[in-house]
Amino acid sequence: MAHPVLQVEGLTKHYRAAGSFFASGTDIVHAVDNVSFTIDEATTFALVGESGCGKTTVTKVLLRLEQPTAGAVRFGDKIVHELSGNDLREYKRAVQAVFQDPYSSMNPRMRVLEIVAEPLRVHQGLRGSALCDRVEELLSDVGLSATAASLYPHQFSGGQRQRIAIARALALKPRLMVLDEPVSGLDVSIRAQILNLLIDLQIEHGLSYLLISHDLAIVEHMSHMVGVMYVGKLVELSSKDDFYSNPLHPYSKGLLAAVPHPDPDLPMSVGVTGEVASAIDPPTGCRFHPRCPIYQGTGACRASEPLWREALTGHRVACHKVEPMLEIADAR
Amino acid sequence: MSASVIPSTSRPPRRSKSDVLLRVEGLKTYFISRNRQLKAVDGVSFTVRRGEAVGIVGESGSGKSVTCLSIMGLTPTPGCEVVAGSVWFDGEDLVKLPERQLRSFRGRRIAMIMQDPQTSLNPVLTIGDQVAEPIRLHLKKVGAALIEAVLAALTAVGIPQPERRLKQYPHQFSGGMRQRVVAAMGLSTHPELLIADEPTTSLDVTIQAQFLKLIRDLQRQSGTSVIWVTHDLGIVAQCCDRVNVMYAGRIVESAGVRKIFKEPQHPYTRALLASVPVKGTRKERLYQIEGQPPSVDQLPEGCPFWPRCSHALDICREQYPPQASKGGDDFVHCWLAVT
Repeated sequence: MAHPVLQVEGLTKHYRAAGSFFASGTDIVHAVDNVSFTIDEATTFALVGESGCGKTTVTKVLLRLEQPTAGAVRFGDKIVHELSGNDLREYKRAVQAVFQDPYSSMNPRMRVLEIVAEPLRVHQGLRGSALCDRVEELLSDVGLSATAASLYPHQFSGGQRQRIAIARALALKPRLMVLDEPVSGLDVSIRAQILNLLIDLQIEHGLSYLLISHDLAIVEHMSHMVGVMYVGKLVELSSKDDFYSNPLHPYSKGLLAAVPHPDPDLPMSVGVTGEVASAIDPPTGCRFHPRCPIYQGTGACRASEPLWREALTGHRVACHKVEPMLEIADAR
Repeated sequence: MSASVIPSTSRPPRRSKSDVLLRVEGLKTYFISRNRQLKAVDGVSFTVRRGEAVGIVGESGSGKSVTCLSIMGLTPTPGCEVVAGSVWFDGEDLVKLPERQLRSFRGRRIAMIMQDPQTSLNPVLTIGDQVAEPIRLHLKKVGAALIEAVLAALTAVGIPQPERRLKQYPHQFSGGMRQRVVAAMGLSTHPELLIADEPTTSLDVTIQAQFLKLIRDLQRQSGTSVIWVTHDLGIVAQCCDRVNVMYAGRIVESAGVRKIFKEPQHPYTRALLASVPVKGTRKERLYQIEGQPPSVDQLPEGCPFWPRCSHALDICREQYPPQASKGGDDFVHCWLAVT
């Protein structure tokens, strides 16, 4: 039985758009709208979607960098944005993050030893040789030698810096790691090293990951569950296997088709036409309808918001057209 | 002494009649400072035929962008110079041409699309002004004919409502639309060669797919040759007819696109293909190329890939492998292929 580490329930985050010189901002950016999902223990949950779909805003709320407008994130029996005192300390220990660009997330004037030791000093009060030993152990966990401890971030390549960032995130034995595009900034030959390392660490430490990535091949390789977001809404949520073998939402199908396949015998396909709708004034009804290949110009898609429902066991989708499609499939 | 193989006969290709549009021969571009030189491009040779799409694949620092800048005569001077080799474009060696004459090629017959559309557009000029510039300079169009050509260029790259859009500024365009504007500028003079240097890195997959199809369709319609510079093997497979794999400033393997993907010869090419996750195929564990791409100021002796190569022989550590022909124009630089 899967144990949830983190439950996101009806999460909504609206921002007020910056106003111009003459008018104060009254526009609302619907960055995240009523998003719910669960991250289970020792699994990877991937959020995918185009830029501006709200993936990063979800992680910001998770990391308590933003307060939700509505809804809640539950960690055990506690609500994350209401935490304080020791509970908050415990949450900040248990949830760590690794970002796309490891260089900008490290102080260039600190040695690797200090970078990795900082959370240990602050949270666990480690000092002296106990601290050094623990840092060495962490560095060796991520495949770096002990000599790395006395160097500065600029003395490492991108891949090694990402290893340092992972060591720092691991220092406090977290339960959940937010991985925001962890390999996009790395060379192709280095990506496999980091992806393999992340999988090894997950198995070894029973870590859960929230993976944000635009690369659907990497998501397929890494994740157990996949959620697809479009203009602030979750439009599909399922196990990885179901998502890749039987994507239901037309947007998911388009996203999958748009990935250029490294096989010259397969034809090029465009996937989705048009561009992402604005989150300030999202389309009525289904937010995807202006780009949807099966939208016929009238009807429910434009008039009403599709329900978030379970179309197949454990496979949720928000699309007016999905149910009819399943019936047709059954009738054959 | 570099042991790279440069063709000894550098006879200029025949004019126009030939289907070879571009022939780069033994190109060496070095970064030169007071006390040392960095061999960013170290003996690169390849050809681009008319209407052909050629990929240059490599990691950062492999010299793919510097190769393209050398073709265009746009290497940052002083400090970065083409020290040897030729770039034959339709019978002229661009390396030897004076700047004034080079300008009649650059932007007119050879166009380039850079990685970041934000920095290749001027924020204080309208889109119309910027697309008009190459048409005005190279095709000498003015007035109504100029506006007509600008509208045609914007329409060709799929920008909706071009009459309204040409009065707008770059910040009013999305990333995908900006890249289309840059493509419109490049293609407006109907160049014979388009160099696309990682043109989709900053785009979403959906917008990337639209852009790739756009360029490929325009290429097929107009017979333009394209050089795709990329590290994305998916783009290579979908867009290129021929592929040159670069590592540490040299082309280590060159072959048709099917051959590169189905029968890769060089251990680096094979390792690259094995290390990327592929949608729809479950790999238990990704193949991991150990170490990292070498920096050009610390190249190992011999074949620069040997420290990361799982098949390295003794000779690999001593001498750069000569070119081993694999039929037609295909070749590989690897001692395993020689012996």
